[in-house]
Amino acid sequence: MENRKPLILIIDDEESLRDGCRQALEKSGYTVLAAGEGVEGIKIARESIPDIAFIDLKMPGISGMEIIEILSKDIPDIVLIMITGYATILSAVEAIQKGAYDYLPKPFSPEQLRSVARRGLDHRSLKIETRRLREEKERMEKSFITFVSHEMRSPLVVIRQYIESLKAIAGDRFDKDVTDIIERCSVRIQNLEEMIEHWLDLSRIENGTLAQKKDLVSLSRIIARSVEDMAPVCRGREILLETHAPDNLPDIIGDEESLVRVFTNIIGNATKYTPEGGKITISTEREDYYITVSISDTGSGIPEDKLPFIFEPFFRVRGKEERHRGSGLGLTFCKKIMESHGGEICATSKQGEGTTFMLKFPTDLSSTGVSLMPS
Amino acid sequence: MTAKKKILLIDDDKDFLYATKLILEKGGYEVFLAEDGKSGVEMWKSVSPDLAIIDMMMETWGEGFSVLNKIRATDTGKNTPLFMLSAVDLQGPYQSYEPPAEFPKVNRVLHKPVKAEDLLRFIAQELSA
Repeated sequence: MENRKPLILIIDDEESLRDGCRQALEKSGYTVLAAGEGVEGIKIARESIPDIAFIDLKMPGISGMEIIEILSKDIPDIVLIMITGYATILSAVEAIQKGAYDYLPKPFSPEQLRSVARRGLDHRSLKIETRRLREEKERMEKSFITFVSHEMRSPLVVIRQYIESLKAIAGDRFDKDVTDIIERCSVRIQNLEEMIEHWLDLSRIENGTLAQKKDLVSLSRIIARSVEDMAPVCRGREILLETHAPDNLPDIIGDEESLVRVFTNIIGNATKYTPEGGKITISTEREDYYITVSISDTGSGIPEDKLPFIFEPFFRVRGKEERHRGSGLGLTFCKKIMESHGGEICATSKQGEGTTFMLKFPTDLSSTGVSLMPS
Repeated sequence: MTAKKKILLIDDDKDFLYATKLILEKGGYEVFLAEDGKSGVEMWKSVSPDLAIIDMMMETWGEGFSVLNKIRATDTGKNTPLFMLSAVDLQGPYQSYEPPAEFPKVNRVLHKPVKAEDLLRFIAQELSA
C-alpha cells in the first residue's frame, strides 16, 4: 500500500462546507485539496490524482454528475462520492451508474464524513489489491502455460524419440519381455504427454486462448460430426449408437472444434463403460431459449455418491482399479468448454442401468426468431 | 557400391539429435549434426547433404525458418528436400501462425517425436524421387 497520506479532493461551491470538510478530514490525518467549481476541480484532480473526491451534485457551471462521469474515466481507482442537498434515489442511482461509489446527503456531521471517507479508502485498497492479484494470477497462468508446454514436454518428446531409436536399432535383437517393457514405457509416457496436453487445454480455456471462436454453428452438424468420429469405436465394441434429433435444430454461438471434442469425449466415455451389445442414444429437447442434448448409455452407471465429483480434475469413479486410464481431465474439459459457451453440463445415473449426460446450450436468439416466423 | 546418402540434422536438443541419428544410421545414412542454426547453415555449405531436417523451434521462435531461408538461398539448396520438425501442438496458441505465402518450400513437416519407420519411409520417398 502507498505510504503517503491519503489525498482527498472536495469540489463544492459553498466555501463554508469546503472549510468544514477540510478541517474534519485533516484532523483524521488526510491531505485535503478543495475546488469551488467543476473545471478547477477536474484540473486539480488530473494534476494531483486524489484517492477520493467528494463532489457536490448541484453547482453553477459544470454539474456534479458530469464531473463524476469525467473523473471516473480519467483517473483509475479514484473513489467518487457525491454530496447532495436533495438526495433522491434517482440521482443516487444515476451517480452510481456514472461511476460514483457512494453519496453523502446534506447536512452531514464531521463523523459521517470521516466514516464515508474511511469506507471509500477501504474500497479503494480492496479494488487495487484485487486488480493486482488478478494480474498476478494471469501472469502466473501465462508463464505456467509456457513452462509446461516447453520445459515439460521437451524431455518427454526426447524420451519417446529414444524409445523409437531403441526399437529401430535393436528391436529384433531383444527378447520379447524386453520389447514388452519398452512398449509399456512408451504407452505410459504417451499417457503422461496426453495428460499434460489436456492440462494445458484447461489452462488455455481459462486464459481465453482456447475455444475463443464465437461463430454461428450448427448443433446438428456438431452432433453428426461427433457421431461419425465415434462410429468406428462403437462398431468395434458392438455398441449401437443412435441419434434421435430433428434436422432443424437451432444454431448456437460457439467454437465448433471444441464442441465436437466435448461430444466425442462424452460418447467415448460412454463406450468405455457400456458392455458389448449395449446402446448409446443421443436425443435433443428444445425449450424457449435453450436446447438440451442428452447422451444416454446402457452402461454400468456411476454410484450416486460419486456423481457430484465426476467433473473434478483427476477424479476416478472406480479409484485406482480404473480399467480405462484416461488423463482424468476429460470431463473437466467438457465442463469448462460448456461454461465458456454459457451452457451447462450435468449427469444422472442409475447403477446397472446407465448414465445420461445432459448438455444445455443457450440457442442463438436471432436464429430462433427466424425459425418462429410464419413461412 | 554407392556412397551413403548424407543427411543433415539441425536441432538444439542434443538428445533429440542423438536419438534421431541412431535411427538414420540404422536406415543406412551418413548423418551430420548441428546444434544451432548458424553451424547448421555452415555445415550445409561444407557437407552438401542430400536432405536436411530442421527444427522449427530452436533458441528463438522462428530460427528454424531463417535457417530454411538461408539454405534455400544457396545453389545446392534450391532443390534439395528439406523437412521441418515441430513439437508445436497445432491446437494450441500457435495455431494461427502461418508461414507467409512467399515462404520457401518445405517438403514435409514432421511432428516430434517421429516414429522411426515413418521417418525412414519419408526420407526414402524423397531420395528415390
